[in-house]
Amino acid sequence: MKIRTSEYFIREVFLSLKRNNWMSVASIGTVAVSLFIFGMFLMMVMNMNKLAQSLESQVQINVYLEDSVTHDSARELETDLKSLQGVEAVKFVSREEAMERFKERLGDQKSLLEALDDDNPLPDAFEVTITRPELVKDTAASIEKLDGVESAKYGQDVMEHLFEMTRLLRIFGFSLMLVLALATLFIISNTIRLTVFARRKEIAIMKYVGATDWFIRWPFMLEGMVLGLFGSLIAAVILRTAYTATVEKIYDTLAFFPLIPEQPFLNYITVIVIFSGMAIGAVGSAVSIKRFLKV
Amino acid sequence: MAAGDARVSCREMRLDLMIHMKNVMKVYDNGAVALDNINVDIRKGEFVFLVGPSGAGKSTFIKMLFREVLPTSGILTLNGRDIVRMPVGDVPYLRRSLGVIFQDYRLLPDKTVYENIAFAMQVIEAPRRMMQRSVNSVLDIVGLRDKYKCFPNQLSGGEQQRVAIARAIVNNPAIVIADEPTGNLDPETSWGIMDIFQRINAAGTTIVMATHDKTIVDAMQKRVIAIEDGAIARDEAQGGYGYEN
Ligand SMILES: Nc1ncnc2c1ncn2[C@@H]1O[C@H](COP(=O)(O)OP(=O)(O)O)[C@@H](O)[C@H]1O
Ligand SMILES: [Mg+2]
Repeated sequence: MKIRTSEYFIREVFLSLKRNNWMSVASIGTVAVSLFIFGMFLMMVMNMNKLAQSLESQVQINVYLEDSVTHDSARELETDLKSLQGVEAVKFVSREEAMERFKERLGDQKSLLEALDDDNPLPDAFEVTITRPELVKDTAASIEKLDGVESAKYGQDVMEHLFEMTRLLRIFGFSLMLVLALATLFIISNTIRLTVFARRKEIAIMKYVGATDWFIRWPFMLEGMVLGLFGSLIAAVILRTAYTATVEKIYDTLAFFPLIPEQPFLNYITVIVIFSGMAIGAVGSAVSIKRFLKV
Repeated sequence: MAAGDARVSCREMRLDLMIHMKNVMKVYDNGAVALDNINVDIRKGEFVFLVGPSGAGKSTFIKMLFREVLPTSGILTLNGRDIVRMPVGDVPYLRRSLGVIFQDYRLLPDKTVYENIAFAMQVIEAPRRMMQRSVNSVLDIVGLRDKYKCFPNQLSGGEQQRVAIARAIVNNPAIVIADEPTGNLDPETSWGIMDIFQRINAAGTTIVMATHDKTIVDAMQKRVIAIEDGAIARDEAQGGYGYEN
């Protein structure tokens, strides 16, 4: 695009943003709200996915032993476990060790455990790593049949819940985003329609003297994109702040919950949000100018 | 004739023709037959008046030339180009080769005289270094050089129409088409406009002007095409208005 043409476009855009300032503010606000909600769902879904993935990749069977099992019979059990098909490694975790780990995880909150005095409710256990995740179900079943084994857990309930939640979140988030996208499209296209309407004479003259449709369309598309850009910038700033705060909060209280680190995650989210905002703006204006181009 | 039969043959693309219409018919969506079986050839450099009572189809004729309306059937070429079958994307370039003038001037009220004229160059992305020279030169032709800073509402009707003419010719069109350009002007002002048209025509530009103005048509002794009820009633090389108004 030629330089003076860009100058012309940019001047037109700012003139009309000024002219429609209330509608412009409303549009920017709608874009900001919609994209904030969109971004929030995006971040939630992505975090759930990541959680599911990390759980899946560390499939491990925790074998809890009955209290009656002595150290000797535990050693025997270890040999039995090792001989099972699909078992890669077996590690003994004594109840004392388990308590230490638990305390560590609780971090600041370890005072909670003072209520237990020195009673340790945790059992001795084995951590069984397996060669392939798909063997986990069968292996766990065979382990549970062994003498002295209280239970063999590999977190399948958690994972199934997580998948179900992610799925619901995706469906709900997607429908909500669709509705929001349409609402945003609607308000942006109405704002641009005001501009287009205010300038219909000018558009007609432009057509008579031989301006191409794209030349006429550009300032309006740009205006829509600027509205989208401003709205998405607001949404991005709020999203970034909120995520950072959430990460900090969760790190303090639920340190074991693996949130996606802020960088470069937040930058991707920002790019996606801004891109969506500008795209919605461009499409919204293209819709509203279509009718006026038929001169 | 169905639209499908209309082909522009080589014989019909005569080089000295600016406008060629053959069996042109226009029926509006509501069924109104505005033009029926129009056959007209206008050579390059001609000055043609289009006369006829109100509702005869003059405006429709004019609008077809810059493809604001499409003929329902028939052949229509402008400067050798078939403008009926022309792809939509070429229409802007067709319009750059013609200047259009309306009865109601159609100036932009928030732009100055200079800006209104320059606008026509800006929107077709004409080189900027040419802009000032071209605008000044057309301002000279219409005699408004000293009013270049005025806004349309500071000008008389005649002056506004002269700005519109300047805008129509600033991109050097091969043809100027005008729909009742003096319709809102008093006789004396009208003569000023006609004087400009005559000078533009003398410089080689084809002019087609629809008008109601008997005095002007009778005095100018140019070609007159009379349309009545959508058909050509008369086509005289040096005619008069022919009606009593
Ligand atoms: N957009 C339109 N839709 C339907 N009918 C139209 C339209 N424009 C013009 N007409 C009809 O076509 C006929 C010719 O109109 P027009 O070309 O404007 O005549 P003139 O300019 O000679 O007064 C009239 O009967 C008019 O009512
Ligand atoms: Mg008319």
